[in-house]
Formats: sequence, structure tokens, C-alpha cells
Amino acid sequence: MALKTLDARGLKCPMPIVKAKKEIDGMAPGDELEVTATDSGSVPDFQGWVRTAKNALLKSQRTETDDNGKSLYIHVLERK
Amino acid sequence: MDSSSNSTGASPLATIDVAELLPRLDRGEEVLLLDVRNQEEYEGWKLEPRQPVETVHVPYFDFIEDPEAAIARVPHAREVVVLCAKGGSSETVVDMLKEAGLLTRNVTGGMVAYGEYLDPTALPLEPLEAARFSLFQVNRRGKGCLSYVIVSGGEAVVVDPSRNVSWYEAFVAERGARYVRVLDTHVHADHVSGGPELARRLGVPYSVSAGAGFVVDHAVTPLSDGEQIRLGGRAGVSIEVRAIRTPGHTPGSTSFFVDGRYLLTGDTLFVASVGRPDLGGHAVEWGRDLFFSLRDRLGDLPPDTRVLPAHYGGASEISDTGLVWGRLGDLRSTVPELQIDTPEEFVRAVSGAVTDPPAAYAEIIKVNLGGSASEEQICEWELGKNQCAAASGQRASGA
Repeated sequence: MALKTLDARGLKCPMPIVKAKKEIDGMAPGDELEVTATDSGSVPDFQGWVRTAKNALLKSQRTETDDNGKSLYIHVLERK
Repeated sequence: MDSSSNSTGASPLATIDVAELLPRLDRGEEVLLLDVRNQEEYEGWKLEPRQPVETVHVPYFDFIEDPEAAIARVPHAREVVVLCAKGGSSETVVDMLKEAGLLTRNVTGGMVAYGEYLDPTALPLEPLEAARFSLFQVNRRGKGCLSYVIVSGGEAVVVDPSRNVSWYEAFVAERGARYVRVLDTHVHADHVSGGPELARRLGVPYSVSAGAGFVVDHAVTPLSDGEQIRLGGRAGVSIEVRAIRTPGHTPGSTSFFVDGRYLLTGDTLFVASVGRPDLGGHAVEWGRDLFFSLRDRLGDLPPDTRVLPAHYGGASEISDTGLVWGRLGDLRSTVPELQIDTPEEFVRAVSGAVTDPPAAYAEIIKVNLGGSASEEQICEWELGKNQCAAASGQRASGA
């Protein structure tokens, strides 16, 4: 099982999901993708997307703060 | 607008501004609205034109996941207008729909642009009044916030301006006037005031009263109870605006009485309810103040006084002329809270009726008292409708 990361900082919707889908589609079942975004709208959007997503499961979501005090929204996906 | 791209045969415009879209929807033009936000955002805050509009909700990530299936969910329509939160995702969807052969346009700036859009309406004044001044109600329709511009004899005063300060600058310049004063009826809790910034840019005094115990860090020119602001003077034309302290919604809340007939009540009195007194954590104390403000301070004013509030709750409060206003004499018999005789019962009624507080209200109050916040942060706080009236459901609103 591999773990990949995707830096989606500074990207506005729809780009975090566009890029995440592209990555996920190219991964092997069971692989994980950790997406780091700065757009707070990405939290409900990832939840909404995986409801119908063919290849992605949402394993977890968490919030962190970077060195400049900016909120980071981290989404961990698994390739189905 | 670029008229050349509108000519027949040319490729249709790919985008549409809120300023163009909303009047078309208000007139009931046939447009299909495709909202591509996520479920929560879609349910929490919708575009509200004056006529019902056919709306379809398909989240943008469904278009990314399976474009064909998502496109199939969009009914065939003469024109499909696509809307999202900020205009980015809807642009992607527009590209997909275009490729599928649909006539479609992206709403520039999405719901953020809707939340900032300002729609002015001139009050129909009596002929003798109209010779001396004009009064505009500026409706921030996405938020249900109302601000006012008064123009007389080349001078203007603005009350409760929102953050889009360039709009207010241009509006008065177009009328050949200049601002002499910027006013806020109170320290707002649901939106960041444009007052301090506008006054700074124009180099004119800014007045707001926060009330005892609150410190405003903006440069503020105090305005005492009963003080009159005179504007105009060109060609002997002038009018007066009188400050009337009406504490309750906030301890410093002030109403402005324009030319002895038009009462800008802020969040003290709406056309279907009264302000909520609970946002400072002193609902009983402030509730009593509100009772006495409504009974005693506004009680002496003539029944023909026109009430012009700072908020409204829904389309039912907008008159046929597009204005949100009421005759004080009528409101005295129609607003339920004005039927109550004792402060105790009044406090019970208004504290029982309040809904959720406005989003991020504590942070917004801090900024309106002089604190700082990034543009991005403010934009986030201001998303959604206001929640400021002591009334549940559709009846009025305001903070």
C-alpha cells in the first residue's frame, strides 16, 4: 500500500477535487492520498464528492495550522 | 457592457453579472438556474429573485466524477445560468455544458458577488419634499441589509453603508453631490460596516454610537441625542437629519429622522418585527431598553412617519415598488411586539423568539469596533443571510 500526498494549498474550487480525482484514478486499490487544501469549502465538498465517487473513499479529515497561522484542511482518501 | 459580443450570430457571452441576472429574474424571464454548490451551501443560502425561478441543483463534483451522468440531469432549457459559491466551479461546469451543446453562462463571482450586490431604489417623495432632497434605499439583496443615501443641495449623507464603499462613492458622484457625513445606526453584528473606510477615503466625519462600556477604535465624531445634521445649502436647498437614541438592539443604537418624516430605524424596528436584544449577552437589560425606546422614544412621532429599517427577512416585506418600508401608524397595530404593554412581557416575547445568532457575530462586532481582519476572512464571515431580528421564520430580520 502506498501513500501519496497532494499539495492543493492556494487552489480554489473546483481544483482540489479535480486534482484529487486525477491522482486517485491512477492509483492502485488500497493506496491512500493525503490532500492538503487551504479552501475551507473543500471540507463539505470532499464529503459530497465521495458519496458518488467511483474510485475514492474518504478515510478522515482534519484541520491543522501552518507556520503563518493559516488553516489547513487535510483530507485522507483511499483508492477503492 | 460590450455590445458587440451581443450581436446576432456572434458567440453568446460566457458570463453574466449578478447586476444583469437579478433584474432579469425579477421580471420573470425564462432562465434555468443550475446551482452547483454542495448540499449544505445550497440549502443554507439561495438566490432570491422577486419571481420564482426554475432551479436545478447538481453539485460540481458530480460533474467532475461523471460528466455525462451529471449533464443528463440538466433539463433542456433556452438558457442555463450556472451558479456556485465564488464562480470557479461553475465556470468548469459551463465549459462542460457548452461542449455538450447547451446555451449556458457562468454567474461571475457566484454567491459572493450576490452577497455584495447593491440595488438602489429612490423613495417616491411628496412633490415639496422632492424639490429639496432625494432619499435612496440601497438593498443588499443577498444579505437582506438596507442602507440609505440622502442627497440635498449638492451634499449627501450615507447611513449604514456596506463594505462595497466604491459603489457608494460612485453613486453620489453620479448625482453631482459630495458626502459630508457617514453614519451607522449601530455597531452591526451581521456584516462588516463600510462606514469607517468610506469616511476615511472621503475625509468626512464618521459617527456611530457603541454605547456605554464599548470602545470604538475608529475615528468617530460623537453625535448626541437630538443633534441635527444639516446637509445641502446649494441654491438655498437643505434638510436636517436628527439623531434619536433608541437603545435596545445595542446600547448605542440610534435612529435617524430625515426631514421630520422618514425614520431610519436601524435594527430597532423592522416592518414586521423588532430587533433582537440578545447579541451582547444582556437580553433582559437590553430588552427593557428596547421596550422603552419603542414605546417612549418612537411613541411621540407622528403616525405618518415612514419607517425605513436596516434589514428585512423575506420577499413578503418588500412592497410592490421594491421598497422595504412601513407607515409608523400602521406598524403600531401590525407588529406583534408593539402590542405588548409591559417591559417584562416584552422581554419574554423577544427572548423567546430569537433564532440562531448571525454567523461569526462576535468577530464581526470586533472589526466594527475597530479591529482588523483580512478581506478573505471577512468574505467568509459574511457568506449567508443575516439573522438579526427577534422573530422566527420569515418575519423580518437584522443585527
